[in-house]
Amino acid sequence: MKTALITLLIAPLLGALYQIVFGNRSPRRLAEVVSCAVILVSFVMATVAFFLPGQQETIVLGHWITVDTFSATMDIHCDSLAAIMALMVTFVSLLITIYSVSYMSHDHDYARYFAYLNLFVFFMLVIVLADNLLFLFLGWEGVGFCSYALIGFRYEALANARAGRKAFLLTRIGDIGLGIAISLFFVTCHTLSITAINAQATSLSAGAAMTLGFLLLWSATGKSAQLPLLVWLPDAMAGPTPVSALIHAATMVTAGVYLLIRLFPVISQAPEVLLAIASVGTATALFAACAAMVQRDIKRVLAYSTISQVGYMFLAIGVGDIIGSMFHLLTHAFFKSLLFLSAGAVIHALHDERDITKMGESVRRHLPAVFIVFLAGSLALGGVPPAAGFFSKGRILLATLQHGGMAYKAIWVCATFTALLTTLYTFRLFFMVFTGKPAVPRKSGIRAVPQLMEWVLWPLALFALFAGFLNLPHLQAGGGWLAGYLAGTPGAVADLHATPSLEWAVENGDSLLALGGLILAYFLYGPKNILGWRTLDASARKATTWLFSGFGLDRLYEIFWVTPYEKISQFLWHTVDETFLDQGLLRVTNLFPLLANTLQGFSSGILSTSIKMLLFGFAAFLIFLAV
Amino acid sequence: MIPFPLLSFIIFWPLAGGLFVLAFWRYPKAARRIALAVALVEVILVASLFSLDLHLNGTDGWLLREDFSWIPQYGVRYSLGLDGINLTLVSLSALLGVMSILASWKQISERVAVFHVMLLFSQTAVMGVFLATDLFLFYLFWEMQLLPMLFLIGIWGHEKRIYAALKFFLFNIAGGLLMLAALIGIYLVHGRQTGDYTFALSHLMQAKPAPMLEMWLYSAFLLAFAIKIPIFPLHGWLPDAHTEAPTAGSIILAGLLLKTGAYALLRIAIPLFPVASHRFMPLLLILGLVGIVYASLVALGQKDMKRLVAYSSIGHMGLIVLALAVWDSLTLSGAVLQMVNHGLTTAALFMMVGMLDERFHTRTLADFGGLWKSMPRFSAFFLLFAMASLGLPGLNNFVSEFLILVGVFRAHPLVGSLAFCSIVFTLIYVLKLVQDTLAGPIKHQHCRDISPRELAILLTLSLLVIGIGLCPQPILTLLQDPVQRLIDQTGAMPLPGTNLMPAK
Repeated sequence: MKTALITLLIAPLLGALYQIVFGNRSPRRLAEVVSCAVILVSFVMATVAFFLPGQQETIVLGHWITVDTFSATMDIHCDSLAAIMALMVTFVSLLITIYSVSYMSHDHDYARYFAYLNLFVFFMLVIVLADNLLFLFLGWEGVGFCSYALIGFRYEALANARAGRKAFLLTRIGDIGLGIAISLFFVTCHTLSITAINAQATSLSAGAAMTLGFLLLWSATGKSAQLPLLVWLPDAMAGPTPVSALIHAATMVTAGVYLLIRLFPVISQAPEVLLAIASVGTATALFAACAAMVQRDIKRVLAYSTISQVGYMFLAIGVGDIIGSMFHLLTHAFFKSLLFLSAGAVIHALHDERDITKMGESVRRHLPAVFIVFLAGSLALGGVPPAAGFFSKGRILLATLQHGGMAYKAIWVCATFTALLTTLYTFRLFFMVFTGKPAVPRKSGIRAVPQLMEWVLWPLALFALFAGFLNLPHLQAGGGWLAGYLAGTPGAVADLHATPSLEWAVENGDSLLALGGLILAYFLYGPKNILGWRTLDASARKATTWLFSGFGLDRLYEIFWVTPYEKISQFLWHTVDETFLDQGLLRVTNLFPLLANTLQGFSSGILSTSIKMLLFGFAAFLIFLAV
Repeated sequence: MIPFPLLSFIIFWPLAGGLFVLAFWRYPKAARRIALAVALVEVILVASLFSLDLHLNGTDGWLLREDFSWIPQYGVRYSLGLDGINLTLVSLSALLGVMSILASWKQISERVAVFHVMLLFSQTAVMGVFLATDLFLFYLFWEMQLLPMLFLIGIWGHEKRIYAALKFFLFNIAGGLLMLAALIGIYLVHGRQTGDYTFALSHLMQAKPAPMLEMWLYSAFLLAFAIKIPIFPLHGWLPDAHTEAPTAGSIILAGLLLKTGAYALLRIAIPLFPVASHRFMPLLLILGLVGIVYASLVALGQKDMKRLVAYSSIGHMGLIVLALAVWDSLTLSGAVLQMVNHGLTTAALFMMVGMLDERFHTRTLADFGGLWKSMPRFSAFFLLFAMASLGLPGLNNFVSEFLILVGVFRAHPLVGSLAFCSIVFTLIYVLKLVQDTLAGPIKHQHCRDISPRELAILLTLSLLVIGIGLCPQPILTLLQDPVQRLIDQTGAMPLPGTNLMPAK
């Protein structure tokens, strides 16, 4: 077990080191094989850790920092939560690394790409496994760096580099929250070990628990692209598509959710924090779903939908159902990476065309396999029964409805409405990409998709359709396997204890909603263009442009933050530093010779002469002393 | 039998070697090689300190001590002491000495021998500052630092070198003279109180000047050291000095000279005047915090890469000031480690800017772009050091910064939180630096990537950057006892109240 866990963690790091040192010098094939092999090793080890009995293991990899009472070790704690997360991360990473081999086959900067990718997997696994919060922070910042580097991977275009910088900056604003939270944990709990903190969570004072909860929420909003820090994720789509699938859909953006789940015993001490988490999640879900409705870039639709779905995971935590949150996290990882990878295949086939108004039936005819897996992904994302998203989202909505309090009822209404929007924008995307005539004629032709890219999609499609069976509700005679597996996680509620009638009502309501959304989408955006909305999006109007830009949030940041910041910078430099401090001081020094002139009639008066005299005098003094 | 005076040897070896180099002033190549050999021997000498069986020597807490009478009629002694704190800094100095010579291998072609003499001379002075425990001796070394740097900037610098050199000199000599006055003041006070006229630091700490006088004396010391660190708003000399200095000058300046300011504040000013310094702590706290934010903001506006790195230096030193102002075991360990880390990363960044300057004869950010394409190895290292400088975990700066931040937070949650926020300000200008040089359309098609010599420098530094980032414990263990002793000497200094205003 111990060896398995250490290998699981270290293998990707070794892979990254290999790429950095030998990558460009070794044959290309070897570099590709190594990068996939290390992830395969990790995946196998994660499987071992997943199935081996006697989990709950803590291993100290090394001592990191110890000063006085402050101590941070590099240690990992593997419980069922970490095991299942690690399994998902390595599985998705493996498929995406294989996909990347094909995706990168014409790029000669492959070594840098695979180095970042392997490094990312390492840091992500650190987040998943770390027991010490500072060690977790290492992974946390590490994935941020890899994300930055990979978004700006094609650095020749400044827009890409800028998108990377934006992502790094906004996630790091969130990271401040985690840094302060770690300090506060040290001051209040005198330890940074997650297990130890969770064990003494109940003894935290109400104020401390609340402050900690809000700090953790703050850090999670940055990493997981929630309001108000979400603007980086749509821009992050500038990165290569496999990167979007891995980092900006399946793994890194869910790290915030994972952190909250990991420290749930602390958060659950403060009801205000739970309500805040639920509200932030719901608001973000609704906000992003609206923005997704009008996007024309296939990847941006998916990006907004990721933000929206992560909002649901937040909501689940807010209503205290961390198993529901984890369930949705897992299913989402499968169907969203599937959708991104299929989108990547479409973009590849269309010679880097991303505008969905220029796609249509011809895509389906040329790429039948992609069409099928994309449909599977859409069913899952749209929450159409019995695909995965239906069950995981259903559990969250049920838990929300069951939660007492008026605020939560309002949240439930919002979340349910968002579910309808989700189906709507998902199938808008699906219909526009694969059916009907393009609203805007496209110039480029269609080429075939490499075999390797397509193969990778099938296992993901299976999971997207059937991952819901991991945790079937009682109504379908499911035992709730996932809930059972995760029941030992601190703070987990395995069974929602819903009355069968409530469960029945919610489940059927959700189904109707999803089917309604699907039918509505067919009428609005379907191949026949019955209501004519399909061509509408191509011509931008004011309201849609506003939605299109994500409610102008970016613009607000630009006006209230970026521009003033630059102005202050210039002001401080030119006015304060150069004019006031520097010139001011120079004037004062100029007074001395002036003073000398008036008082003594000392005629030289030239600054440099007096300085030279001073210098020589001083040198003589030193020589005198030294001798 | 007198034991071998290793510490003196470490101090004066570069100077002696430098004089030997001077004999080869007609043969620049030979002079360069000999200077490198001298610097390497210095590294070996310092390394030999680690191999000695160092243990605490009596109760005075020094690992190694040398003490001779020098000018008995004034109670001046030649005394040196080594403990964990200055051992780390001495090691840094020895290392950066080699780096500065390697960095100027191609850059300096005029008066080569004299140039290297100046480098070695400044190394002697810095070593002396770190090791002296007699304040008179300390003062001599302190002022001795200025001369070689004055000439390094003034002779081998860039366009506005004379202006920058004089500015550097005037600022620092002004501080130095104030310190001399205060030094004589505390000498007289102690002499009158005890009848023992001495400059020994450990004795002077027992002096009890009148409260008002103590404030004045401390202010003078503080001013001298604050100029050197430099603490906002006394930093005016630094950007000019860095911009005009040759690469080696910048390395010594940022890597070593600035550290002497922080070191002197830590070792001398605060322990000498615990009461007065305690009352000044809130001021330092505010100035440190303002300095970080201010320097980061100004750095963002810079068009010259070297100036940008220079301002970043002010910001990083602001964090050290913050650490000293809180004065507990976490922040002090963090502060000393931060001195080392800042020395490594900033030296590396200055060196890399120097490499670009050698190739393209410009340091203006707008002239660069797309270096990933033409210089991939250079770019990888540049990215690494930039990330270290913005405090990415796993790299060296993170460890010291986090220790400082946690310590500040523990003492003072509000200031600690604000200091955490200042991380973002750092991020903004570092990312701008990286993006403007490495990304974007390619501006220079043909240029060579790093040479083996440059690779050796960068590899050494990057291994240290990663090594300290992942395994800082040996250094921290080294610092533990002396830091504790400093705190014991002055007594704990809880900040007065939780408000931000200075105590009445």
